[in-house]
Amino acid sequence: MTAFLTGVKTVAAQEFRLRIRAGRWRWLLAAWFVTLAAFTVLVRLALAASGEDDRPLGTPMYGSLMLLVLGMGLLVVPALTAQSVNGDRERGTLATLQITRLTPAQIAAGKLAAAWGTSLVFLALTLPLVAWTVAEGGVPAGRLVVTTLVMALMLGVVCAIAQALSALLLRSTTSAVLSYLVVFALTIGTLIVFGLATALTTETVTRTVRQPVPVEPVPVPGGGFTVEPPRPGEFEEYTYTTTQARTDQVWWLLAPNPFVVLADAAPALPRRRDPVTQRPLPSAFDPLGELSRSVRSLREPPSEPDSYRGLAPEPEPQPESQRRPVWPYGLAVNLLLGAGSLVITTRRLRTPARNLPRGMRVA
Amino acid sequence: MVTPIGDGVVVRDVRRSFGPVKAVRGISLRAAPGEVTALVGPNGAGKTTLLLVLATLLTPDWGEVRVAGHDPVTEPDAVRARMGWSPDFFGMYDNLTAGEYLEFFGAAYRLPRPDARQRAAELLELARLGEYWDQPVHVLSRGQKQRLALTRALVHRPSVLLLDEPAAGLDPHSRVELRLLLRRLAADGAAVLVSSHILADLEEMADRVVFVDHGVTVGEHHMNDLPKTARRRWRIRALDRDALLAALSGAGRHPGSPSPSGASTAPGSGTPPGTPAASAAGGPSWVDVELESEQAAAGLLAELVRAGVPVTAFAPVGGALEAAYLELVDEDAAATQPAVQQWVLSQEAQ
Repeated sequence: MTAFLTGVKTVAAQEFRLRIRAGRWRWLLAAWFVTLAAFTVLVRLALAASGEDDRPLGTPMYGSLMLLVLGMGLLVVPALTAQSVNGDRERGTLATLQITRLTPAQIAAGKLAAAWGTSLVFLALTLPLVAWTVAEGGVPAGRLVVTTLVMALMLGVVCAIAQALSALLLRSTTSAVLSYLVVFALTIGTLIVFGLATALTTETVTRTVRQPVPVEPVPVPGGGFTVEPPRPGEFEEYTYTTTQARTDQVWWLLAPNPFVVLADAAPALPRRRDPVTQRPLPSAFDPLGELSRSVRSLREPPSEPDSYRGLAPEPEPQPESQRRPVWPYGLAVNLLLGAGSLVITTRRLRTPARNLPRGMRVA
Repeated sequence: MVTPIGDGVVVRDVRRSFGPVKAVRGISLRAAPGEVTALVGPNGAGKTTLLLVLATLLTPDWGEVRVAGHDPVTEPDAVRARMGWSPDFFGMYDNLTAGEYLEFFGAAYRLPRPDARQRAAELLELARLGEYWDQPVHVLSRGQKQRLALTRALVHRPSVLLLDEPAAGLDPHSRVELRLLLRRLAADGAAVLVSSHILADLEEMADRVVFVDHGVTVGEHHMNDLPKTARRRWRIRALDRDALLAALSGAGRHPGSPSPSGASTAPGSGTPPGTPAASAAGGPSWVDVELESEQAAAGLLAELVRAGVPVTAFAPVGGALEAAYLELVDEDAAATQPAVQQWVLSQEAQ
């Protein structure tokens, strides 16, 4: 195992060094930071202008910053990784690596580590902004840790997918385009598929409503009306048909969405209470929490027909803490995608090669 | 420097196709430890494909291969530990320094870090690139990169060395050094297999030569056993051009026309066929004559001297290897004439 890791480290250190020396990182990193900093400042100003009470500003600032970091990360990462393998092939440096005593798995893992490390540099650059949002209050440590971890994992998954595409496809431009399409499929594609699938689950239900016989005012001779009290035990029923979408059957289509995974994995905020009276206080706007509540509610089956409306009190809505989470499925799917991608990359690096795709040079 | 282990390269009837293209159709050869073996053949003869098979990058469709005693298909790691390969087309990590480049490959070959560093320094000195230790690779010239790539193949002290066109892009000085280096590696026990187009270089460094054409082995010789009867072109220089031409025609060898003995004068290098194979009138002059044997050459020289022609030089054009190669090509002329002629012409242009 240590021998394996030594090889991985050799490749990773080499790749990382090459990456650092090759690109104009200073400008790319500066643009990244400035964009995010400007966004955070604007969010802060907007909140200050609209908020009147003492709700902490950190919660909306942190949530929106994390969603933006994930969005921009998904844009940057494929470009960092999409030529990891076929770029080396094009430059003629892959075969000389393959004939060393490094194994294909070491080369694949080392290259992935370097790509992932590079994307984590971008993530690390947001730390000062994160620190600012934390300082504004309303971001518990647990949420900070979990979101950062999930974010790092999601970026790693996208790295692995882009790398597998660069191992599968000959041209680095093709693999870059395809990597972006995969990111598109994960973000927008899951939304579209979920929307269409939801439409397919729509079912027509017949509902019966039972309610007390309405009381008719009876005209009284000489003008005026009298109203008799409703007779107990006398009900009338009527039925109607309506449609309902069974999102509880298709919610999982939305689960792999990186934004869903990130937001739903973030632990819910504790209810704010007045320190003296212990009465609940209005909670701050929480982008992550809102998204999480939305997707979790999709998992719930439609509520029972309200057949006794008017007689029985409305059933208590299910407490939010008992709603089942969505993110474990989404994260699992993504991690499987990432692991599968690493396996594909390793297989494609294996030599001696029996079959070569059309047009591929060995060396 | 190189420990003599393994038994070089053994190739028996290797075949490899790429889809419909049969790149290698049956090559057999042996490259013994302690020897430099030359792999010679026209473009597309299958040399590079064969070397890729030996370098554990391609599986053969058929045939048996042993590199340093191991099968590249079933035991690639054992082969890689003992084999160095320098491809004809290679890339460099342009942003590394020459030292980092070699150190990285030392690590990739599992050399401990201090060893890798020491080995890198040693190899840079060997390649006369010592002063580039901390210079980025992209400042190196093509020939210097070629030398660096060659030293990369030596990082782990391989007992089998596979070199694909190592002399391409090297200046004459570097070519001499390459020759000396390969001789030294062979003397230390390595099996060296070199493919090259520069026949003159191979002739001076190789112990054995394997001719391949159209994906098959067409000849395998010790350099000393190259066929002596090869027809060769001889270049005659004389102070007096007219006297030389007159004496040649007296001997029955007219420039540009077949002679009774079967030999004929051949066009001078670079002159279009049909024009006299001789330099311009006046001044020191030369004529190329194709002769069937060394006996014929000796006879013609004696005749010219008897006729009083002031001969200053009488020497074969091209080496024995080239002659043997052309001989082989002639035997196969019917099928391969156009391609081979083109190849020979391109060789002459070099």
